[in-house]
Amino acid sequence: MSTQTEGLHTGATRAARRPSLLPYALAAPTAIFIGLLLLYPILQGIYTSFTVNQLLSSAPPRWVGLANYERMLADVAFWHSVVITLWYTVLVVVTVIVTALLVALLMNNTFRWRWLARGIITLPWAFPEVAAVLIFTWILSQQFGVLNVFARWLFPIGDNLPWLTDPNLAMFSLILMTLWKLFPFYSLILLTALQAVEQELYEAAKIDGAGRLQSFRHVTLPGIAPTLGIMILLITIWSFRRFTSIYLLTGGGPASATETLVVRVYNTAFRFYDLSYGATLGVAGLVLALAVTVLYFYGQRRWGAGAL
Amino acid sequence: MSMSPTTVRWLRRLALYGAIVAVCLLVFFPVYWMLVTSIRPTRFSITYPPNLLPEELRWSAYVELFQTIPIATWLRNTTIVSLGTTAVCLVLSVLGAYSISSFRWRGRGLFGFALLVTQMLPEALLIIPIFIIFRQLNLLDSLQGLVISDSAFVVPITVWVLKGFFDTLPTEVAEAAMVDGCSRMGVLWRIMIPLSMPALVAVSVVAFFEGWNEYLFASTFITTSELRVASIGLASFIGELATPVELVLAAATVFTVAPVVFYLLMQRYIVAGLTGGAVKG
Repeated sequence: MSTQTEGLHTGATRAARRPSLLPYALAAPTAIFIGLLLLYPILQGIYTSFTVNQLLSSAPPRWVGLANYERMLADVAFWHSVVITLWYTVLVVVTVIVTALLVALLMNNTFRWRWLARGIITLPWAFPEVAAVLIFTWILSQQFGVLNVFARWLFPIGDNLPWLTDPNLAMFSLILMTLWKLFPFYSLILLTALQAVEQELYEAAKIDGAGRLQSFRHVTLPGIAPTLGIMILLITIWSFRRFTSIYLLTGGGPASATETLVVRVYNTAFRFYDLSYGATLGVAGLVLALAVTVLYFYGQRRWGAGAL
Repeated sequence: MSMSPTTVRWLRRLALYGAIVAVCLLVFFPVYWMLVTSIRPTRFSITYPPNLLPEELRWSAYVELFQTIPIATWLRNTTIVSLGTTAVCLVLSVLGAYSISSFRWRGRGLFGFALLVTQMLPEALLIIPIFIIFRQLNLLDSLQGLVISDSAFVVPITVWVLKGFFDTLPTEVAEAAMVDGCSRMGVLWRIMIPLSMPALVAVSVVAFFEGWNEYLFASTFITTSELRVASIGLASFIGELATPVELVLAAATVFTVAPVVFYLLMQRYIVAGLTGGAVKG
């Protein structure tokens, strides 16, 4: 990931020598593919959000202008799901980044059987989402779940806790599963970034009398900042659109406590058969993701990758 | 109290190993619990508190699984979808990544930006238009259709990963080959691809996993029961109480084996491929 400019530069001089249609031909299959299956559908979705279209009705879609958006802005449930989406995303980003960094720092030491530890710790990455949901549904079960055994060891709780059916606990349970599934991969990437930090910088910091914390703050953190930055962006936009694990673990419930925007889009379109309003909510989700991305690149340009 | 440097070093080692073992136990516990539940008779599972150690090793759930649930069919379909997705993504992303890594052309930036934007599109919003397109193309209720929709969502990622790796390759070799009369496609075929094995493995794994895991499209597009993939089959157990829990978790285990083994065998390549090379053991 480090020597990009070099490759691009030589590519540029080469192409200047001999302009050709080849790069277009090479990119065309992918462009057509995502154009037809992602970009055209998104335009279709945006169009649908300006119409009235019921999934079960045979009437053709009718253009209604901004009516769906007016409805959305006045819809308490929509704002609730925006708040849930942001809350879920913030919790995922913070817990995943902190855990991944701590574990990566731990793994950055030399010790015996490191390959084994690395294999075990990164295992959840390879786990299919549906299998993870099956395991966690069982672990989190109020009646027979093993999480209650540990919870009652650690805390003075009289009764088994309803991890998935209590509105306050459900978000915690969802974050627990998401964290388990996500942090290993980011740990692995951070470990690579840590190993790429120049050893001489640490030596220099030591000579200057820096302690462990200081050299972490002034050497490690700036060294891995670009990796952390792109990671935060990716975790954020992937959390905005995460569907399967949330939908299968809680369905958005209980009482909409985990109903992120994407889950609400699906429920609106497929449970309540309101295609056009579902599309409107989906467009709102897309705008949210775009806004975050623009903010990210603006922030990066303004303060540089080092300051995040 | 003062400690000798040796004691301090020894305590540090102890803390390090303690922390690592603790992390490993925490991460591995759900996997362990899945395995234990799958080999223990139901009566030991539906009791509180459950024993943390298995009472007996009974593999019968794994036999029963294949007799009572069409999991063999599900896994076959999932395998077809995953391999198909891998093949499509490999071809498309090799070509696409070569194009944006080694050439400078008008629209290149737009192409790269479009790939990034696709990562923000929620499937739940796209699924209806894709459904309509697939109905016109006769791709609904077919495994080919799933290969196409799964590939569409993962190809932007695999193009980026491969591009990142291609960018790190030294350009001198390619230029020397071109001086010797090698064509641009010859450079891709004889130089770039052989040098990019780790990245190609990583990309294959990412695409394979997408095909293996995908749920939303499969559950919406597939209606014939012979064409069900494992992710839908397994998801149908969630929230239903008729199937004994050891059977459900045995099914989850069987479903998990392929990607986990695949991952463990390819671990080194995957990390190297995803991060552009610089990894120490």
